[in-house]
Amino acid sequence: MTERERGRHEELIEQELARAAQAAQPAAEPVLGVRPPQLGYFRTQTRLRTGWFWSLYGVWYRHVRVYTKTLLANAAPPVFEPLFFFAAIALGLGSYMPNASFDGLPYATFVASGLVVASAMFTSVFETTFGTFVRLVYQKTYDAMLGTHLALNQIFIGELLFTATKGAVFSSIVLGVTAAFGVRPTAWCVLVPVVGAATAYLFGAIGLIVTSYVRMINNFSFFTSGIITPLFFFSGTFFPVRGHNTVLTVFAGLLPLTPAIELSRALYKGEFTRVTLAYLAIFCIYIVICHVVSLRRMRKRLLS
Amino acid sequence: MNQDQAACAPPVIVARKLTRKFGNLEAVAGVDFQVQPNQCIGFLGPNGAGKTTLMRMIYSAIEKTSGELTVFGLTPMVDRKLINSRLGVVFQDNNLDEDLDAAECLHVHALYCGLDWPTARRRTAELLEWLSLADKARSRIRALSGGMVRRLMVGRALLNGPELLILDEPTTGLDPQVRHVIWAMLRELRRQGIIILLTTHYMDEAQQLSDSIMLMDRGRIILSGRPQELIERHLERYVLQVSGLESRPALSADVRHEHVGDTDYFYSHTEPPLRALYRQLPQNALLRHANLEDVFLKFTGRGLHE
Repeated sequence: MTERERGRHEELIEQELARAAQAAQPAAEPVLGVRPPQLGYFRTQTRLRTGWFWSLYGVWYRHVRVYTKTLLANAAPPVFEPLFFFAAIALGLGSYMPNASFDGLPYATFVASGLVVASAMFTSVFETTFGTFVRLVYQKTYDAMLGTHLALNQIFIGELLFTATKGAVFSSIVLGVTAAFGVRPTAWCVLVPVVGAATAYLFGAIGLIVTSYVRMINNFSFFTSGIITPLFFFSGTFFPVRGHNTVLTVFAGLLPLTPAIELSRALYKGEFTRVTLAYLAIFCIYIVICHVVSLRRMRKRLLS
Repeated sequence: MNQDQAACAPPVIVARKLTRKFGNLEAVAGVDFQVQPNQCIGFLGPNGAGKTTLMRMIYSAIEKTSGELTVFGLTPMVDRKLINSRLGVVFQDNNLDEDLDAAECLHVHALYCGLDWPTARRRTAELLEWLSLADKARSRIRALSGGMVRRLMVGRALLNGPELLILDEPTTGLDPQVRHVIWAMLRELRRQGIIILLTTHYMDEAQQLSDSIMLMDRGRIILSGRPQELIERHLERYVLQVSGLESRPALSADVRHEHVGDTDYFYSHTEPPLRALYRQLPQNALLRHANLEDVFLKFTGRGLHE
């Protein structure tokens, strides 16, 4: 909030309070059998001073409520999908290489450390592509929000915070289930949901950027099949992307999923090197850039 | 607020040469108008006249292309937050969340408006009561009838206690009972001093509710004024309307005739000549007062506008 804006708010609040005091006139005769609620009463200082928090919370809460109303249909596929990969590849394929060491980890642990992050990526990408598009074009959810004093940025920050929440939950579920199947997490793994949330935030923002350009819902399959699926396979989920040669290592390191997977893997190993720090830096830079670009793009799309 | 004060108070909305283009299409083509406090303004026009675009500019959901617009003396888009905290919008489409129940829909919207949790709860309960929907609080939106949904949408726009209520075609597609309930609600809100902007293509709705009418066509405001004045200024008082007439009867000098499609219209300032005509005509003719619809059709032609 700028200084000027804050000044205006204070001014407005004073006016409102004066007006509220003045407007204590008797209510009109009820027409529908019930006395109408007093209007003009709610523009009080509370709403203007702490309103931004409740507005943002409202957006987050709206998504949570709608999502959990049909929880099973919404959450079952994205929970089971990474677990199928885990069963087929880490347990199935992995059983043929019992003593192999991948990046210093047993194969099942190696794959699990990638899947906790990939599950967060998938859930958030679908949320902010198909989900956002449906809300934008078919359900007109954002129109309703535009009619209130919600700032445009708040609408989408709220949405990204919701995807981050989902990311944290999903990566925790994958963490828990793989642990039940014999993957040994370290104490550092309590931070896995944080990495999951950050990954979901990043990919949520990427999804919003894509959505801001898309005019037909079918076009998303280019993005999900053409970009997200390859990212899932070639960012180090199933085999190490570092160490083949320098060009490949750098290229893979710049894919947006790789830093997230490397961070989660560092947590599973419990060791942090200078390389980990570099990945953390890349990850943060991506998040900041995508956050800014996605808000700008969606603002443009919404107002067009 | 009495009439004198209302006349002195600054206008709530001022638009000058306000224009919005979509590509080459001028959805709103340089409109000028003012809205005074304590008024209900009806924006009347066919589909595609630019009514919705105009409303969207007022609540900062879309940017203007050129011209000037101020709302409460503030500039939309720049002071979006301050303006929108003082108004409520009832949308044309049902954009309530289908999966949520009635109370949740209002509660969530109240949070958007910046009410804290307990206030939002209380306000939701009050409004459901006022809308006579208290017993439907736990019903999902998809299980509610069209009329209930529409009442809920009006209620939703009142959560923040607005000074200005914008209604975009509030009764389109509703049965007569529900329309009358909505009108009664709007009149009650008017009595509380809420300024209402209403878009509609129902002439009777505009005529009943509005203090002043802006007749829009192809992005322009072609006429404005009090409904009754508009009719008196632009048309004769009585109309006789008859379809499928084979031969035209002889007309006295004070009857004006118009033929559109398969329908003949006879206009006159007094009733007797039309009544005489009415008795001559074999078909089912309709003798009535001229209304806004006639004014509208006089100015925009009776052909399809697309």
